[in-house]
Amino acid sequence: MKSFLKTYVEMKRETIKYNFAKAKRMKICYLFLLPYAVLFTTFFILPICTSIYYSFTQYNILEKPQFVGFQNYINLVLQDEVFLTSVKNTLVIAVITGPIGYILSFLFAWFINELPKWIRAIAVVVFYAPSIAGNVYFIFSIIFRGDIYGYLNSFLVDFGLINAPILWLTDPNYMLTVIIIVILWMSMGTGFLSFVAGLQGVDRAMYEAGYVDGIKNRWQELWYITLPSMKPMLLFGAVMSITSAFNVCDVPRALAGYPSTDYAARTIVTHLFDYGFSRFEMGYASAIATVLFLVMILCNKAIQSMLRKVGS
Amino acid sequence: MENKNIPVKPAKKTRGDILHERMVLLGEIKEEKKFDKKKFFLTSLIILCVMIAAIVVLQYRLNTIAAYEDALYAQQAAAEIVADENAATVSEATVAEAAAAVEAATEMEAAAAVEAATEVEATTEAEATTETEAVGEIKKPQDYTFAPFYRAGKLLLIVGACAYGFYVVIRLLAPKRRKPNRSVWGDFGIYFMLLCVAILMIFPLVFSVSASLKPLDELFRFPPTVFPRQPTMDNFSDLFVTLSQSFVPFSRYLVNTVFLTFIGTMGHVLIASMAAFVLAKYDFPGGKTFFSIVVTALMFSGYVTGIPNYVIMSKLRMIDTYWAIILPAFAAPIGLFLMKQFMEGLPTSLIEAAHLDGAGEMRIFWSIVMPNVKPAWLTIIIFSVQSLWNTNASTVIYSEAKKTLVYALQQIQAGGIARTGQAAAVTVIVMLVPITIFILSQSRILETMASSGLKD
Repeated sequence: MKSFLKTYVEMKRETIKYNFAKAKRMKICYLFLLPYAVLFTTFFILPICTSIYYSFTQYNILEKPQFVGFQNYINLVLQDEVFLTSVKNTLVIAVITGPIGYILSFLFAWFINELPKWIRAIAVVVFYAPSIAGNVYFIFSIIFRGDIYGYLNSFLVDFGLINAPILWLTDPNYMLTVIIIVILWMSMGTGFLSFVAGLQGVDRAMYEAGYVDGIKNRWQELWYITLPSMKPMLLFGAVMSITSAFNVCDVPRALAGYPSTDYAARTIVTHLFDYGFSRFEMGYASAIATVLFLVMILCNKAIQSMLRKVGS
Repeated sequence: MENKNIPVKPAKKTRGDILHERMVLLGEIKEEKKFDKKKFFLTSLIILCVMIAAIVVLQYRLNTIAAYEDALYAQQAAAEIVADENAATVSEATVAEAAAAVEAATEMEAAAAVEAATEVEATTEAEATTETEAVGEIKKPQDYTFAPFYRAGKLLLIVGACAYGFYVVIRLLAPKRRKPNRSVWGDFGIYFMLLCVAILMIFPLVFSVSASLKPLDELFRFPPTVFPRQPTMDNFSDLFVTLSQSFVPFSRYLVNTVFLTFIGTMGHVLIASMAAFVLAKYDFPGGKTFFSIVVTALMFSGYVTGIPNYVIMSKLRMIDTYWAIILPAFAAPIGLFLMKQFMEGLPTSLIEAAHLDGAGEMRIFWSIVMPNVKPAWLTIIIFSVQSLWNTNASTVIYSEAKKTLVYALQQIQAGGIARTGQAAAVTVIVMLVPITIFILSQSRILETMASSGLKD
């Protein structure tokens, strides 16, 4: 046992020595990486670490943070009913909009890729525009307005489908559906763009080889040729769609109000916003942020392992 | 003897022809008839004309039926009016009588009222008789019972004609050599669906643009019109009036934002691609770990890091300076991620060759790698511009003179009902810039993508 440990330590030391020598030889690499690494550490790593630290304290910005252990997390689960509602809502939104938005943006990118060049250029703009158009989703608050002057209500009443206008954005029964629709409308985002770029980069010779090898229709071609050669883009799209699916904040705040009726449209991020920026309970808000972060990392790991199976 | 039938030199065939023949032989695709564009166009034109003619005929029949129904309805209505007015005259007369009984002095008036009432009665009766005569002349159309079928048929024909027209357009626009494993109907269905979804996607955007062109009375009209009846630029000119009255001149906000966007984007592209280059092409200790941390950071939204970020910036004394916006933008993880993914597609042999020719890392990066990843840097430029243009940075910038355009515009937008028109104009301005930049650089991306056929 002792000799085993000894060899193990020696081996470790060897690897460290080797890596150090390698690093010394490749100094230039670190030089290239340095500016980015410094900025990234300051503005992305450090805040995350401080956020995790604050989550174990009671901190209201004015006084010094007080260490309270796991108290924030215990309060979150045991005392905060609104938090549980917000977790439920976030999960519902994420489970529906994440996969559907992801699949839709891939499908549309793929369909668009078959179009003639100039139509393709127009189509990409049409599909991508909603997600970069700033706060245009405000227009949905007119479409889904609760009185008879809302477009959807007047349309439904004219067709005799409903008798009285429905309070789309105030009634807890409908709020979440409306928000999901709007988020799906905006889901052709970064991932979509990367799919379009990736599809154009797939090697044409692969398709020709596919015809010879007996690929009969477009779906087989998609599964056996297109998807496997798009794995990097698929991974990126997955990360993006997880991020946007869990970080839903602006749309419910703009459409359903803040706070919304019965907290029916409260998500984890709006909850965090409430505690962080309205009540200034930074420790508690940081605990919420940490929980969200953990959930997102777990999801990402699961999706990555799923994507590895694509095309096999 | 057997060799006699084999031609000495086979006709030269392209690779595609051979492929096609082979697949026909194997029975994997059917031999397609040669597609004659002219013939197809003419036949489809005739079919469409027939369809439209059928629609017109049906519409004509429906019009006659509608006229008949209108006449019937008018008859009923007239009958109702007669009944109503009879009642009315009676009640008027009684009222008049009562009034006469109460006040003898107004006898004359009462008499006049009664007279008027009788007159009205007479005229309405006359009208009613003439109308019933007129209705009597209208015959019931022979095919009245088929009306619902006509309606359904018309609807079907219209939908059919639209779909067929769409199909013809696609067939005519489609490239000459089709991919062998694509069915026409599949193409048709996909294009049709794309068209429908595209209309859904674009509708809110079109609507907000048209709202910004509407005068105030049309903005509040119900039911709303999709396109303005009297388009004006009043909303935009009002917006500029409001902006010019503000404490800080409008151009200052614009310059601020343009400066921030430009510097932030340039620095981001440079710094991120430098890092991405070594991460993608060199295997050095710590590189992989660093990249996985960046990927994880991709998922942390700005809200989550907002509070600690503020604390760090205030420690660095960057609050209320442009650096508070620019420096985090330099290190945006998304740019590095994208760049690295694209650079991994570059052949390593290219870099090795450059090494053999004696180029240093800086030179390889600048004159070999960077020109070859143009699509990638255009893409990250778009993302960076988009996020920087839309920052309102209200948490880190306090002095009015340093505020960004979007922030100033949002202040106007929050002006309530009185500024509805201006708010619509603001929405359009904020929306238009990223979309325009995207449209301009998108054509570049497609172009560079088409020409950059690098294979390892």
